[in-house]
Amino acid sequence: MNAIEIRNLSKCFGNKQAVDGLNMTVPEGAIYGFIGENGSGKSTTEKMICGLLHPSSGTISLYGKDHNDDEIRSHIGVLIEAPGCFPNVSVWNNMRIQAANLEIKNPEQEIARVLRTVRMEGAASNKFKNCSLGMKQRIGIAMALLGNPRLLVLDEPINGLDADGMRIMREVLTDITQSCRCTVLISSHILGELEKIATHYGIIRHGRMVREMTAEELEEDCPTYIALRSGEGSGTRLLLKGKYDRVEEEEDGTIRVYGDARPEDVASFLYEKGVTVREIWTARIGLEEYYIDLMGGKKQ
Amino acid sequence: MQATLTPTFESPTLQKRLKSMLGVDFYRLFHTPMFYIFLAIAALIPAMVSSMGMMSGPDGAAAAPLFTNAWNIVAADSPLYVVHDIGEYANMNMVFIFGGIMVSIFIGHDYRSGYVKQLFTTHAKKSDYMVSKSLVCAFAMTCMCGTYLLGGIAGGLFSGMEFHAGFFSLLFAILGKAVMSLGWASLYTFLNVILRRQFGVSITSSFVLGTGIPVIGAAALMGNSPALNMFLYGSSVNACLSSNLVTLLTCIAVSAAWAVIYNALGTLVLNRSDVY
Repeated sequence: MNAIEIRNLSKCFGNKQAVDGLNMTVPEGAIYGFIGENGSGKSTTEKMICGLLHPSSGTISLYGKDHNDDEIRSHIGVLIEAPGCFPNVSVWNNMRIQAANLEIKNPEQEIARVLRTVRMEGAASNKFKNCSLGMKQRIGIAMALLGNPRLLVLDEPINGLDADGMRIMREVLTDITQSCRCTVLISSHILGELEKIATHYGIIRHGRMVREMTAEELEEDCPTYIALRSGEGSGTRLLLKGKYDRVEEEEDGTIRVYGDARPEDVASFLYEKGVTVREIWTARIGLEEYYIDLMGGKKQ
Repeated sequence: MQATLTPTFESPTLQKRLKSMLGVDFYRLFHTPMFYIFLAIAALIPAMVSSMGMMSGPDGAAAAPLFTNAWNIVAADSPLYVVHDIGEYANMNMVFIFGGIMVSIFIGHDYRSGYVKQLFTTHAKKSDYMVSKSLVCAFAMTCMCGTYLLGGIAGGLFSGMEFHAGFFSLLFAILGKAVMSLGWASLYTFLNVILRRQFGVSITSSFVLGTGIPVIGAAALMGNSPALNMFLYGSSVNACLSSNLVTLLTCIAVSAAWAVIYNALGTLVLNRSDVY
């Protein structure tokens, strides 16, 4: 069963078309990385999924039911932009309020559990307004995790998190999808982090889905290359260009050779030409580069 | 072969939903200093009005007291449909003006903090939100009626005013005004739902649409029309020191009608518009 199924979704704000005939499928148990530039319609789509905005047209199904269905709404955890907490109320009591809204039995135990999960148990008595940005994001994640939701919708949850916070986030999301079959829809601009956890991707541009794919498909789509550093710089690139079809030089002087060539062949070719290779290794382009290429129109 | 599990979800009942929402709203009400500040204001105003007769003017002469009967701080002698004297309106009706401002701040915080975003992504229904806010704000206004009464009595005793009114008439007048809290709270909740994105405007509208300006202005313009007055401006101005059981029943009926109409309209607005 698909956790989220969106068909021909559109949303207009006056004359501005924020989402334009979007189609999207998020399988159950997936960590779906939702990627797009600023203003591409990610947050608007997520807000429509959560019921905060009314679609102008199109349908949204969650686990086969309409997204406004009461039954399904109790099982969605959400962090859109920043957590909606009262600033003068303590973290614990803000969590109590949300636990009451969700009608969670044994709220104390549940709140303690989710705060422990995001390593925020020490901040429970702090007033929300006194928490740092990173702490607020972690609290927002904890709030979204209340009541073991079946679907988590997270809009830029990594913003403001330190390295430890990002690691915890990765662990939490991987754990809940594996142990509870929870589905996660996560949007972020920090693509390097997203790449570490996402099982599926959706790339949106100008309110339309440009591409949907699994992590495996991304891997297949991202070419491998041989990267090398030599003392010669551009001279080496020109030499390689004479032999290989696609050779690129990065800003730091690293030269990339795409295609089926093997590192030892490249190294011996350069050796024969009298070029000393300092370092040579095989690599694959990452999500960030793939995304930039796609947005730049280089890749179909 | 791995079996496919179809997730099952439970639908929360209205009773459960409303109970939890009321719990949260009452918690917030009792934990916000604003509520206690407004209770204090509601007590101070009648005490100050009562004490006016004790103050002396610039020439040293005592200022004319607004009332001679202390119970006029609570209600006028007869139903108010036309303006005879501004002082006749300066009674417990003022609670509904302060109450309106309090409701604006209370609901405004829901939107400014992003709490509604957290709330409406759960199973919470817009109608539950309207009902819960109306009930909690009505409770707050009823409490303000209580402190207003205490302030009025204290002010009357302090300034040596007379206390003369029939016990039941007074009781029905007080209950009539307190009962109208629900109607007024529903109206203010509705207004603030419409103006939820304009915090300052919502406060101003609550102030302007409190009993003061519309009641005085419209009563003066439209003349003595009890039926119109009772429905449009709240039977709180109908509750006076000559009230009887019928007055109280009228207040209950009008308050309930206001609550139903404004809650239904507010739910409609919320259902048809984007939340956040």
